[in-house]
This record gives sequence, C-alpha cells and structure tokens, in this order.
Amino acid sequence: MSQQEKPAKISKLLRIKAQEFLSNLNRPQCLEEIVQHFHSGSDTLACLLTLEMVFCNVLKDKVMHLEYVPFKSIDNTNFHYKEWLRNVYENCFTKIVECIGQESQKIQLQGLSSAMNILSYEGKYPLDNKSNLESYVPLHKLRAVLMEIISSRQNKTNMINKYTEYLMYDDILFFTWKVLPFLTAKCNPKEVYMVNYLLLLEKMQTSRNIEAQILCGTDAGAFFNFDEAVIKKSLNKIWHCVMLWEHTPQTHKQLLIILLEKALPHLEKPLLLTDFFMDSLDVGGPVSLLALQGIFTMIQVHNLDYPNIFAKLYSMFEPEIFHTKYKARLFYLSDLFLSSTHLPETLVAAFAKRLARLALVAPSEDVIIICHFVGNLILRHPGLKCLLNNANSGMSNEDPYIMEERDPLKSNAISSSLWELQTLQQHCQPSVATAARFINAPLPSVEWDLGQILDNTGDDIFDKEVKKFSKLIVLQFEKPNGGALSRGEKVLQFWDL
Amino acid sequence: MAKIKNKKRKTADQVHGRKEAMQAKKSMNPFEIHVNKEKMRVLGKKNKNDRGLPGVSRAKAIEKRKHTLLQEYKVANKSNKFMDKRIGERNKNMTEEDKVMARFSAVRVKAHNKKSIFNLADDEVLTHKGQTLSEIEKFEDPRSDDEDNDYEQKSGNLEKDFVGDAHFGGGLFRKTGKEGAKTHKELIDQLIAESKKRKAEKQKTKEATLELTEKLDSEWKDLMPLINKNKKTEEDRDKESTPKVDDYDKVMRELRFEARGTVSDRLKTEDEIAKEEKEKLEKLEKERLDRMQGFVEEKSNKPTHRSADDLDDDFVYESDPEYMLSYNNEGESNVKVDATINGKSIGDNEDNSDEENDEGDEEEAEGEEEDQEEESEEEPDNLSDLKESDGENEDLEDEKPKTQTVKKLGKITEKFKEEARKNDTIILPKEETFNTKEMIQDDLQKRKEIMEKARNELPFTFSLPDSYEDLQKTFENQSSNHQCVILERMIKCNHPSLSAGNKENLGVLFAYILQHLNDIGSEATNAKSIKECFNIFNAIVPQIYELAQLNPDNAHNSLREVLKEKHEEYKKSPKKYPGLELLLFFKLVSILFSTSDFRHQVITPCFIFMEQMLNKCKVQTQIDISYGLFLCTLILEYTSLSKRYLPAVVNFLGGILHMTIPKTSVKLIKVSPPFKSTSSHLVLVEDKSKKTYDNLKLSSADLLDSSEITEDFQVRAFYNTVKLIEEFVNNLKDLSSNVEIFQGIANYLKLVKVDKYPKVVKEAKLSLEKLLENNRKERKLEFIVMEAKKPKALRLYEPKIVEIYDGKKFKVQSREKAARDKMLHKLKKEQKGALREIRRDKSFLGRVKISQKLQSDKERKDKVKRIFSEANIQQSELNAIDRKKKRK
Repeated sequence: MSQQEKPAKISKLLRIKAQEFLSNLNRPQCLEEIVQHFHSGSDTLACLLTLEMVFCNVLKDKVMHLEYVPFKSIDNTNFHYKEWLRNVYENCFTKIVECIGQESQKIQLQGLSSAMNILSYEGKYPLDNKSNLESYVPLHKLRAVLMEIISSRQNKTNMINKYTEYLMYDDILFFTWKVLPFLTAKCNPKEVYMVNYLLLLEKMQTSRNIEAQILCGTDAGAFFNFDEAVIKKSLNKIWHCVMLWEHTPQTHKQLLIILLEKALPHLEKPLLLTDFFMDSLDVGGPVSLLALQGIFTMIQVHNLDYPNIFAKLYSMFEPEIFHTKYKARLFYLSDLFLSSTHLPETLVAAFAKRLARLALVAPSEDVIIICHFVGNLILRHPGLKCLLNNANSGMSNEDPYIMEERDPLKSNAISSSLWELQTLQQHCQPSVATAARFINAPLPSVEWDLGQILDNTGDDIFDKEVKKFSKLIVLQFEKPNGGALSRGEKVLQFWDL
Repeated sequence: MAKIKNKKRKTADQVHGRKEAMQAKKSMNPFEIHVNKEKMRVLGKKNKNDRGLPGVSRAKAIEKRKHTLLQEYKVANKSNKFMDKRIGERNKNMTEEDKVMARFSAVRVKAHNKKSIFNLADDEVLTHKGQTLSEIEKFEDPRSDDEDNDYEQKSGNLEKDFVGDAHFGGGLFRKTGKEGAKTHKELIDQLIAESKKRKAEKQKTKEATLELTEKLDSEWKDLMPLINKNKKTEEDRDKESTPKVDDYDKVMRELRFEARGTVSDRLKTEDEIAKEEKEKLEKLEKERLDRMQGFVEEKSNKPTHRSADDLDDDFVYESDPEYMLSYNNEGESNVKVDATINGKSIGDNEDNSDEENDEGDEEEAEGEEEDQEEESEEEPDNLSDLKESDGENEDLEDEKPKTQTVKKLGKITEKFKEEARKNDTIILPKEETFNTKEMIQDDLQKRKEIMEKARNELPFTFSLPDSYEDLQKTFENQSSNHQCVILERMIKCNHPSLSAGNKENLGVLFAYILQHLNDIGSEATNAKSIKECFNIFNAIVPQIYELAQLNPDNAHNSLREVLKEKHEEYKKSPKKYPGLELLLFFKLVSILFSTSDFRHQVITPCFIFMEQMLNKCKVQTQIDISYGLFLCTLILEYTSLSKRYLPAVVNFLGGILHMTIPKTSVKLIKVSPPFKSTSSHLVLVEDKSKKTYDNLKLSSADLLDSSEITEDFQVRAFYNTVKLIEEFVNNLKDLSSNVEIFQGIANYLKLVKVDKYPKVVKEAKLSLEKLLENNRKERKLEFIVMEAKKPKALRLYEPKIVEIYDGKKFKVQSREKAARDKMLHKLKKEQKGALREIRRDKSFLGRVKISQKLQSDKERKDKVKRIFSEANIQQSELNAIDRKKKRK
C-alpha cells in the first residue's frame, strides 16, 4: 500500500481486512497485515480505529480467553493461536498507548479513546477467569495509559480534559487513585510533568460520582466497592511526594488551589502544612493569597496559632494588589481575619490606616470597598474611634503614621487620624465621595455588607451611573470661545491643537 | 322704615284674625306643652324645636296609625279583594246619567285648583274640525275659507230641493213642475250624474285658482325687491341729508379705538442690562457651587441644623452649608463666593471671579451685538469673536491658543505670585505677541474678512439634512469656518421659535454632528488631517453649544448614548486606548456641560471612563503616552473648578515620570500597573540642554501613531507632565492628605536626571520639587474631630391654637372616613327611630286588641244580660200565667 493513496481508501481497505479477519479467525495474515501497517507509522488514525474494532470484537467473542482447567490437556493448535493473538494484542496495546504521546492532537485523542475502549472491553470480558476479583480493571494497562498522560515530554492539557470524561466512571476514578501514588515522582521532576500531574490531580474527585457508572463491568455497583478510605490513603501518599517537589510559581499556585479545594480536608496531619503555607505566604502575589486562605482554614478548623500572621497579612497590602484578580478575595479574607474583636487596637488601627492610604491610589471601585472596610473595622473596634475623633491632639504637621514600617504594631497608626477618607470625600466619583462621607455622621449600628460590592468593577459603576436618571439637566452656562472654555480651560494650555 | 309703615297699615280684619288665632292658641293647656331645655342660647338662631306638644303629636301619631297600621291589622290574615273604585259603580241608586255627570264633575274638580281660578278655559283647547282655532287664525291657506263657505253647494252632497223632493216630497197632493213624473230609477241616475258633474267642476275651479295664486305669488316676489329698493334709497337720501362727520369726531373716535399702549417696563439702560446679566451669572455660579457640593439632591428641604430649641415644627432655620471657616496662611478664607456683599463677592479668589464674570458679561454682550464694532476695541482680551472664525492659515491658527494661554497664564501669575518667576519663563517667548496689539488687530481683520468671504460665498439658507449622508455631502470639501457658517445658518433657518417641529429636527442635527465629529476624529491618521480635525472641532463647537442650549435634553441623551457606545467598544479591549474621536467627545462634554457638579449624568460616566482607561491601558508607545496625558489634561480641566481628586491621574503622571528615570541600577524602582517597572521609553539619551524650544506644548500630531519616540517628544512629554503635576498639586492643595498623594511623585522626581533637558524644563522640575517640599512643610493637619452630639432637647408643648373655634372638635380625617362616619351616625339614629316606632306600633296594636277584647266581652255580657232579662221576663210571664191559672 503506497503512501499516495487516499486515507479514506486505506481506511476502507483496512476495514475490509478487519472484517475478513473477524469473519474467519483462521486468517491471521489479515491481522498481521494491519498490525504491520500500524507499525509502519502511516495512517495511524485509521489503523487505530480498525485495531480498536478488531480487538473489541475479539474480546467480546472471548477468542483469547484461556481456560486453565486442571488435569486437562490443552488443545495445542488452539492454544498456540490464542497465545499468538494475545501477544499481538499486548503489543498493539502498548503501541496504541504510545500514540497518546504523539505530536498530532487527533492521534493523541484517538489513541486515548481507543485504549480506554479496549480497556473497558477487557474489563467486561476478562482474558482470564479471575472470579474472586470483585471487579476486574486491567491495572497494568490503566497504569500505562496514565503514565503516558502525565508524561514529562509535553503538555497534555487536552488529554487530561479528555480523561476527565472517563473519570466520570467510578471504577476508573477509583483505580486511577490507586495507581497514581506509584506514578508519582519521588524527587524533583520536570515542570511539564508537574503541570500535567497537578492538572490531573485537580480533575480527580475524592468522592464517588453522583451517577454511579462503571466502565469495566456489565452492571453497576453490584460487585464494586468504592472505598473512600483507600482514596484518602493514596491521596496522603501522593501529597507527601508532591509537597517536596521544587515548584515553579505557577505550579505552586496550582498546588495550593488543589490543596485548598480538594486535599486539605482529607489530609491526615494538616498541621504539617503550616510551614509550607508560611513559606508560600512569603512568595507574594496570588500564591500568598492562597496560602492565606489555607492558613485561615487551619486557624479555623485546626486551631493553628502562628505568630506574626497579621504582620504577614499587613505586608500584603501594597498598591499592586489593585491590579490583581485576587483583590476581592484578599479583601474578603482580611475581613475574615480582622473580624475578631479581640485584636489589639493598635494592630487594627494600622490596618485601617494602611487601607486608607492605599485608597488614595486605588481605582474607584476599590476605594468604595476600602471605605466600607475601614468603617467596619471601626465599628468592630470602638477604640478606633480615635481615628475619627481625636479632640486632644489639635494640629500636627506630619501624619504620625509610618507607612514604611513593616510591623503594624509599631506603625503608630493609633495616634493618627483618617485624613485620607477626608480627602476622598473630594473624589471625582460621587459614589466614592459618598462612601467616604461616613466619617462625618455618627457611625451606623450595623456593619456594611462587603459581599455585595466586592465584585464590583469599573464597568459596573459606569453602567450604574449611565443608567442613573435625574431630571436635572445642567449645561455649561458660559459660552465657549472657539474650542476653549471661557473659564478653567486647561487643554489648550498644554496642547497645541 | 317701610316695614313700620306696613305694620301701621294693618287692617282690622287681620288684627281680628290674629286675635282669634291667639285665643285658639292660648286655649291650649300649658301642661300639655313640653319645653325643650336649651343649653346654649345663640343670638339670631331660629329654633324650631324649642317646645313640643306631646299630647298633640301623640294624637297625630295615633291617628296616623289608625289609617295605616290599623287598616293593615284589620285585613291581616285576610285574602285580598278587588275593589272597584269607579265613581258610583257600586251605588245602585244612581242612574247611568248621574254616574257620567258625577265622573265628569270629578275630573273637572280635579283639574280645578286654586291657581286656575282666574284662568278661564285656558287649558281647554277649542277646535274646529280637528284644527285648533289658533291654527285656523293663522290663515295660512285662504282656500279653506272659500271651501268652507260654499261647502254645501260645491260638495258632492245632494241639494236641498232635491232631497226635499226625493225623500219627503209631496206624496199624492203635490205635483212636480215638470212634465211627466220620472220613475224612481231615473231620478237616482240623474242624481248621480249631477253630483259627479258638480264634483268635476269644483275640481277644475280649484285647480285654476291654485294656479292663479301661485302665479300671483311669483310675480309678487319679483316685485318685492323693487319695493325694498325704493325704500332703501329713500333712507340713503335721508342719511345724506344728515350733517357730515366732524373731523374732530373722527379724530376722537380714532383716538378712542386706537390700540392703547400697555404699561410696560421702561427700557433698560446698558448699565442695568449689564448688571442684570451679572446677577444672572452670579446666580448661575451660585447654583453651580451648590451642585458642586452635591447639595441639590441631599439638602432638598431638610434643614441640617437643629437648634436645641427646635420644636419639630418644621420651622426652617436659615442655614449655610456647614463649613468651618478657616484661613490659610495667605489669609484667604476657604469659604467661597457665596458670601456676596453689595454685589461684590468676597472670597479667596475675589479678583479672579470678578474678572471672570466681567469677561462673561462682555462675551454675552458681544454675542448679541456680533458686529464689526468690536474690531475697533482696544482691549486684547476681546478675542471672543474669534469663535466664529478659525485659522485658515497656520499662523492665524497658532495665534489664538497662544493668546489664550497668555491670558490664562496671566491669571495664574496673579493667583500664585510667589511662583511668578517660573511662569515668566514660559511667557517670555510669547510676550511679543502679547505686546503687539496691532498685529492681533491685523489678524482679526484678516480673519474677519475671511469669515465675511465665507459668508458671502455660501448660500444664505440651508435646510436641515435628512440623513447623515446628506450632512456629509453638505460638509464635503468645506473648510472649517465654512462648516461653521453652514451650521450657524442651519440653526438660524430652523430656529425652534420659527416652527413647532424644529426643536426635534435640531436634535437630530445634533446627533448628526456628533457622528460627524466621530468620523473626522477616527479618520484623522496623519498630521495634516488631525490638525484639520481639531480646526473643524474648534470652529463648530460654538454652534454645537448653541444647539445644546436649544435642546438640552436631547444633547444630554445623545452624548450619553455616544459614551455608552464608546464604552461598550472599549470594554472589548480594555487594555488599549480607544480612538481619537473619544478625546473630541470628552472635550465637547467639558464645553457643553457643567463639569464641576457633584454628580452629573454625563460628566460622572466620563470620569469613570477616563479613570478606567488610565488605570488599565498599557502605556508603551508615543500615542499611549500622549493619549494618557490628554486625558489627564481633560481631568484637570474638569476638576479645575471643583478641585476634586482622581487617583488614576496621579498614578498615571507618576508612571510617566517613572518612564523618564534611567534604570541603571539593579534595584527595581517600583511602579504601579499599568506601567512596567522596566519601561524607560522616555529616558533622554541625547543632550538637549543647549537646544531651545519655542513651543514646548504637546501637539496634536503627538496623538498619532508613530513608530518611535523622538527626543523632542520626550522633552515635551516630560515638561508637560511636570507642568500638569504642578497644576494638580495646586489644585489639590486644600486636601488634607495632599502630601501623601504626591509622595510617590516626589520620590520619582528625586530620581529623574535633568542634566540633559533644556533650561526651561529643568526649572519647571525644580519649581515643582520646591512646591512639593513647601506643601509638605507648610501643611497643617488638623486631627479629625467628630461633631459633638447635640443633647436632645426636651420636647416643649405649646398650647394648640385653633384658628376658628366653634365648640366642635373637628377630627382630622380623610373625606372618605368622614363620610363613612356620618353614614354610620345616621344609621344609628335611624335604627333607634325605627325601634321606637316599632315599639309604639306594638303598643298601639296592643291597645287595639285589648279594646277589641273589652268590646267583645262587653257585647257578650250585654247579650247574656239581655238573654237573662228576656228569660226573666218570660219566666215572670210564665209565672204570672201560672199564678193566674192557680187563681182560677
């Protein structure tokens, strides 16, 4: 068969061959031809489909089924034939699995689906009689597939996404968990591997699927026991290895996400993670934020008491946060952290003051959040009212608060005043200015609800303002001189238009 | 008096009658009168119920019951009967005639009432042959009379003689005059023929007369006008003969009917007009300040101040907006213009505002006059008429903004005298133009001429465009001032005062012009077209302003829609600065609307939009930098009056400064996004300190895409950034944390190396640094003190004063409730009355029953007595007979 022929034609030919073989099993040469063509490396897609069909049918017909009946001589020719067929089958399967590692996306996907399909048939019609096993999933084959998926050669996001479809089956999920600890690298692996591995880990559930479906078995649930304890054990095993890897910032982030979303409740000794979290906290950016969330859980659930946690939180408030996606979460978390009424007032005052400072450079939507946040802090800690009502000090030349001080307790915030909010009352945006006005009136008795405004964006504010309708229509009452305002013209002062 | 007279004239009869009546009344037993007690005597009030006659009324009631209840009681449990109520029907004594007579008389009696005594047979209509007499008397048809008159002869009836002969005639003893008696049949035949003949004759004559009368009528009608005419002419003659109207009378009449001049205000002198104008402007300015503080919505009618004596009676305490009056180090108070004494405003920028107002006055006045006279005026300030003409040629174009800025800078120098030195440097190169008035005059003249030329070249009327394409066609290949004139004429020809639909049409025109701006903005791709674009913009802005003033609603909505659309577009790629046209719109917004408002439907979204762009858009190329700087300038312009603060601007300007810092060291200089800490696009490499620039302003060409950033641009960008920052610093000076706001910028400034920049730039930077330092040192931070809570006053109750007191308490309640209450009250009363009546009925019936019972008992007793007596008599008789027998 030459390369020039059309693939459609080839696939047709292959199909005919396969039919021929299936109709008459005594024609091994047909199968061999197909296998040879497959090995040659051309038309992989068609070959994959054909082989899948052939082996599925063969498995279904139990042609390869070997029955070891004791004290009975084995039919020699038949036995040899079966042996041969099995060999071909195993070879082909490894080859198919190798396809997953190929360049082409199509072949990759086809390879995976073929492998899984064959796997399922083998599960349904096992090669050997292993009646004592509850459910038979060919583990070595699954392992081969998984190994290929989390290979360190290329990014397998697509494959993993495809594989998640199979994870919908309880048995595949369960045995993947079981197999995975053996596939985990013990020492520093490559980054690609880490990405793949973590992606896969992220996709895997720790509990049984809602719809109990089973891939390798004829009827669901009857003979298969989804043991969550086993999964927990393997998760712990995996985690011990994964934690020790040298993470890049990206994988670090992903790891933390997985940890927070999935793993943390299942770990045996979560307190061991404390140092990991603390180290992560120093990384900065989203990683520290995730770590912060982890620490919060630890404090809340596991009674963690770690010194200096507030100093770390304090140091996270930098002007850059307003341009991260995580700012809403940061505000939310710090609101949680500072919700305790038993914190020292100097500490909370430092937070309030720092937030207010940041509000001077923040985008409008964040300024509103900060204003309400600071308001809430003052409501929770009535001692902070001195920030708004300091009748004793009179005048000052400098703000006593030291912005550069890393330690909130030494920042001297409690002897300062919230001039920033006073300044923000002159903000261009009316919504911001009104938010900052709370310091003029007696404080309300109920805290502001931050949850509603945390996700506000500039666009939201724009839409709101545009929709706002008032009957008052105000025009400039002074006639322009050409393109210039008669009063307060600035553009022409700087621009030669 | 008249009454007294009347009284005296009482007749003896009347007196007598009254006396009798009095006696009758007097005869009433005083014990039978019940006097109703009166609680309060009101003078002049008629009292009906002061006394009652219980006996009489009871008797009345009993009488009434007898007629009603008793009757019912009598027929109770009895089946109904048919009663024939015809008069005399059941009276057997009456004959038939008597009955008719009686009925007729009854009808007449019924019809006869008091009023008709003197109406003699008025209600009876007399008729003659079915026609009322009155109808006949109209004599509408004269024929009827004739007919009636000789009815006997002409009708088809038989003749008297004939009837006499035929029916009753002679018998045996009578002979007819004719020979041979006719048989009966012959007679009858003759009779029929004769009557037919007579009928035909009658018909004929009738027709003839009808014809004749009609003819006569028509002829009469023909004659009528002749007669009338005659009469008229005679009258005319009479009139002519009357004496001719006097001239005096004529004049008098004319005067009388002449339209009288209504009382009106006297014409105002120019001073007064100017004063009024000024007052109007001051009022507008005051309103603007209020809006700036955001008082319009919040302080609708609630007084903020409540004194301790406040009684919650809505008595409004005249309150000023709550300011702490304070003075800065120059002795200027922070409370602004609202304090005006004798029309003269006192405030921190006293001279400034006055000057501005004056300026406004002049402009207004000029706008009205709009004539060449202005040319002769000597003041250099009078450039406002330039708004109509805009430079065709480059040098003219340059002129205007320069002089403008000169003016502006002059103001600034006044305002910040301590910084005069710095400003001088900028003014210096332009002072020549400032001094040479003649040149300006020449320019003005030239421009005027060009304008005139444009005016003459164009047709005088322009219809409004039907579609945007139409407008485009009109504007095609027209220079900027041609476009301006076209627009001006369009507006004038279609002024809303001329026709009803014009307002809407001009609204559509406004939208088209916005589209036009959008197009010229987005099409500007090279230096020339962008220049032209701004030229056109400058030229047509006054007309757009006019349009907006004519229909503010529409201007408002269209610009808002434009902004919405632009924002939607921007949202798709929020990291990229949108097109140039947006800048045009922002500038337009600042010209059309009041930018200083606390909240404005157009301005506020503009702020948000600009803030978003400054915060998010990447700054990498020249166009990004200049676009951002333009936005900053716009924000400065927007906030120059309201002195508001937008963090994004300071961030952006800081970022630009950061770009000029040479990053040599390993240490990273932090900068907030969207700037990158490594970017150094504006670092000046070449030494430009020797080069002199005559114009350091940014130019419109900087807003174009260019592949690389030139050195000149670097210098200009830096210079303008520094200047902008300075403006902002001055603008935000009053904010309590101004030092913190500009802290980052101060830090960057320290790192900027200025060796290579020209001297002017260096000085600008130094002065800015000095200004910042000064601000830092001079700042006085007052610790925030919350307003002390006022002690709540005890409520003091005053007596409630009701304006009209009439002893009744009026409940304050709604009309429905009052009506309902009234109804309920009535119902209760009625219920009581009904119950009382029922009770009385019952007792009445009881009485009737008992009397009946007594009656029947009595009857029975009588009967028994009679029977007994009869029996006794019988017995006695019997006994007597027995005794007789015994005796015998």
